Amino acid sequence: MRRIESGKVLSNHKLAKGMYRMDISLPEISSEVQGPGQFISLTVGEGWQMPLRRPMSIASIENDSISIIYKIFGKGTVWLKERTSGEVIEAIGPLGNKFSLDKINGKEIILVGGGVGVAPILYLHDQLSKDNQDHLLIVGAVTAAEQFLEHSPKTGIHLTTDDGSVGEKGTVMTMLEILADKVENPYIIACGPEPMLAAIYKFTTEKGIEGQFAVESYMACGTGLCQGCVIETTKNISKEHTYHQKYSLVCSDGPVYDINAIRI
Amino acid sequence: MTDLNTTIGSIELKNPILVASGTFGYGEECDEFSDVNQLGGIITKSITLHPREGNPPPRIVETASGMLNSIGLANIGVDRYISDMLPKYDELDTTVIMNIAGSSLTEYINVLEAVEAVPNSLAGYEINISCPNVGEGGMEFGVDCDLTSQLTSELRQRTDKLLVIKLSPNVTNIAAIAQSAEAAGADAVSAINTVVGMSINPATRKSNVYTKLCGLSGPAVKPVGVAAVYKISQSVSIPVIGIGGITKGEDVAEYLLAGASAVQVGTANFRDPAAGLQILTEFHDFCDKNNISDLTELIGRLQNDT
Repeated sequence: MRRIESGKVLSNHKLAKGMYRMDISLPEISSEVQGPGQFISLTVGEGWQMPLRRPMSIASIENDSISIIYKIFGKGTVWLKERTSGEVIEAIGPLGNKFSLDKINGKEIILVGGGVGVAPILYLHDQLSKDNQDHLLIVGAVTAAEQFLEHSPKTGIHLTTDDGSVGEKGTVMTMLEILADKVENPYIIACGPEPMLAAIYKFTTEKGIEGQFAVESYMACGTGLCQGCVIETTKNISKEHTYHQKYSLVCSDGPVYDINAIRI
Repeated sequence: MTDLNTTIGSIELKNPILVASGTFGYGEECDEFSDVNQLGGIITKSITLHPREGNPPPRIVETASGMLNSIGLANIGVDRYISDMLPKYDELDTTVIMNIAGSSLTEYINVLEAVEAVPNSLAGYEINISCPNVGEGGMEFGVDCDLTSQLTSELRQRTDKLLVIKLSPNVTNIAAIAQSAEAAGADAVSAINTVVGMSINPATRKSNVYTKLCGLSGPAVKPVGVAAVYKISQSVSIPVIGIGGITKGEDVAEYLLAGASAVQVGTANFRDPAAGLQILTEFHDFCDKNNISDLTELIGRLQNDT
């Protein structure tokens, strides 16, 4: 069940260039979370200067607290950055669906995270690790300054940077093509900026590889009321008049979709 | 204790706070957050004759103290509204008003007639003649006195239920449109629908919303709404329902003083699906603190000496 809850900021610190992590005490919401892919949405600013909540993927859950990873993007995230421990922040959640692991059917999982899209991927990575389920993780960024994990190919963690300052030089695609070729039956789960998803989409479609995306979207409500956060589906629509066939609501139907179910 | 009852046409509302069409779905999407039965009423999302997918994304963007939207009347269509939604409204203990949108006189009539043909517990209809976001969103009716009159009259002949005409602020003289609706038999008017707006990303030189022109709502438009309600209430004798940027109890009082008999909470529902009830509590406190025994002490009681 979704809840509205005011929670104390437990910590709020810089992870990498332009990227921050905030831990918020949210016992009610965290008790309702079903798994990686789901998100919460936070009010930002004082009063109604910024009326819309900011949707944030859950990056981890621990002892009644929820962690988010956010990138400084505009006024709302600057306001988030300025919160200090003990301040209260209002959240609604958990929202959306989770990655469905029962679709993987023993295939070899490759997780791909780009930019702030790394949040749900890290949550899934932690869950798979706890379950001793083998998987590979690729995290891409422009430079080393934007990376906060350790490049560790031996343990299956592959970082990429556009300038080669850490990990493999290139985009996540460079690494993904190598790894997808190495494993017998790859299954790709990714979250990141649209150009990254578009490149993966093209790759998986050409190779006939299955997988899931967690997509990002601008949202007004996160609860299905505003109908603002739609994504185009790949459904073949033969009827002249339809509702909710061509467009899917990212907040309620998503944010996790089978790669072949949406148009990127 | 203040008596919060208010009357719109023949309908008595338990309190003056309704939720606006398009901001509360069909009334069931967020029922875990608040008990809709405590609200004065709900106006359900615009229904057209056929289902509609709505506009391509991006459909929304935040602006200073407001938001722009261009959803494009995405809705389930009247057949599914009748089969799936109407039976649920029988169970509710609050006033439910159906919002109807159309692209032609015939479409409005067909939707209303389809609903009139089945037994239901709707209190009435709010007619959207003011959607700025689709080429055929009824806006041509909302900007023209004669078309407003014709549409209102045709619908009036087909229902004895409450008939509310929802007006656009994007006109030269909103009071004149309200007068046309009144003369043609409307029981009430509601105002305002969204204000036409636009937002461009200077870096990409692209519009932030797919349709470019879209509708502004939220606290940014509250003064526009209050002024519209004031102008209309000075010109008609039917009740006015105030809409636009209501986020707190005092906003309700402001609209009532300007002449509204009830209000609709819109954009605030997006941030907090229980906003209507929170605003109701605050408004009740305001009334108690100010020793208001019933709402006639507020409605249209703007003091003229400034």
